[in-house]
Amino acid sequence: MNPTGGALFQPTSCHSASDTSLLPEGDGADAGSPASAELARYLTQLRQMSEQLKQTSAQIEGAVLEVCLSFQGIAQQAKATVARGQSFLSQGGDSADASFDTVLRRCGDTLLKVLSVTEESGEVSRRAIERIRQMDAAASKITTALDQLDQISLGNRIMALNARIEAAHAGEKGAGFAVVATEVSAQAEKSREITSRVCDVVAELRQLAASTLDDLEKMLARDVARMRQCRQEVDRSLAELKAAHAAMTEVLSGMSEDGAQLAAEIGTAIRGMQFQDRVAQRIAHVVEDLETLQNRLSASSSGEEISTAGFDGFSVYTMVEERVVAGMGADESGAGDVELF
Amino acid sequence: MKKILIVDDSVSMRQMVGFTLRQGGFEVVEAEHGQDALNKLATVTVDMMITDLNMPVMDGITLIQNARKLPSMKSKPILMLTTEGLASKKEQGKAAGATGWIVKPFDPDKLLQTVAKVLP
Repeated sequence: MNPTGGALFQPTSCHSASDTSLLPEGDGADAGSPASAELARYLTQLRQMSEQLKQTSAQIEGAVLEVCLSFQGIAQQAKATVARGQSFLSQGGDSADASFDTVLRRCGDTLLKVLSVTEESGEVSRRAIERIRQMDAAASKITTALDQLDQISLGNRIMALNARIEAAHAGEKGAGFAVVATEVSAQAEKSREITSRVCDVVAELRQLAASTLDDLEKMLARDVARMRQCRQEVDRSLAELKAAHAAMTEVLSGMSEDGAQLAAEIGTAIRGMQFQDRVAQRIAHVVEDLETLQNRLSASSSGEEISTAGFDGFSVYTMVEERVVAGMGADESGAGDVELF
Repeated sequence: MKKILIVDDSVSMRQMVGFTLRQGGFEVVEAEHGQDALNKLATVTVDMMITDLNMPVMDGITLIQNARKLPSMKSKPILMLTTEGLASKKEQGKAAGATGWIVKPFDPDKLLQTVAKVLP
């Protein structure tokens, strides 16, 4: 726009608003005169210019509205995404009782409990092994005692044999003694047989105990190795879960920051898009002046007297930019100023 | 949730102001000129109003004068949000009963701060 405002009165031809050749002479313009025809063409051009400006303004508003709505959609989606992420981290989904931290802690606790139970089983195995060893030691003592019994039984048999020999030497007087000696020998033999059977049973028991002990010791050794491995795996898994959680927290935190940044940028964009409102008003003001000019020229062409009083070409200019352009001073607040009364 | 009536003949401006206020946690009611706003105020109770100055049918100054006659809007904050910053216009707004004057284009953060300041 020309700062002098003269552009409104200066179409592309060589004529200006003060060019009297455009104005009617005497009581009015001659309808058939070249000046009148030129004036009529200018009036048509003015109407077209006004319409062009109105349409441009409407198109800008439509485009800005579309962008604005898109920004709103982007902002809402960003906000919803960040909210969902934060909700996931703080609440672990729909249940407020199952935050990710809580789930992680519970998972770790459960794994440690499983390990603890396995360790207790190992301890039970160790105690069983110890008891079996004690039982084997007791069985060994029984075997020793049975050996002693066997020796006593052998002594009894030898003693009975000697008694029978002495009874034979005594003749008839030793007959009764020979019967007792034979009975003692028979009892000693029975005792040896029983001792021998008990010895066999104890030996069998000791063999079973040794076999069980061997199995238990192998199982315990295997369990201890497995437990160590399990513990290492559990520790590693928990560490990985914690690291994953920390990484997710960091990512979501970054998303929150990005969301805030996005909101700030949208705020800046919104401020920028308000140019449309100012442009629309400036165009409306120009259109208003163009229409005034049009009416005056139209009146002029029909021979009416033109009164220029009260019309300086910028009567409706109220915004600081247009007032500066029009040389009307800028005694007013600038964009974005806030004043509370 | 506090409810704010936005009055502006520009649909894009209503969108921008509405978006900013909704982001700030407010509920928004829209009107496209002063008479439309008065019609809305007859059926809806709002906590404050933000209005443009130059609008068809009824301008912002006339709207404020009429709104202040309503019992529901007698003491509620009313902000002018306009491209105009002439001291004489501001005086008219103040005399009509406006609480404050913001010159477009507005800064979203500043608008929310101002709303927070004037809302009871």
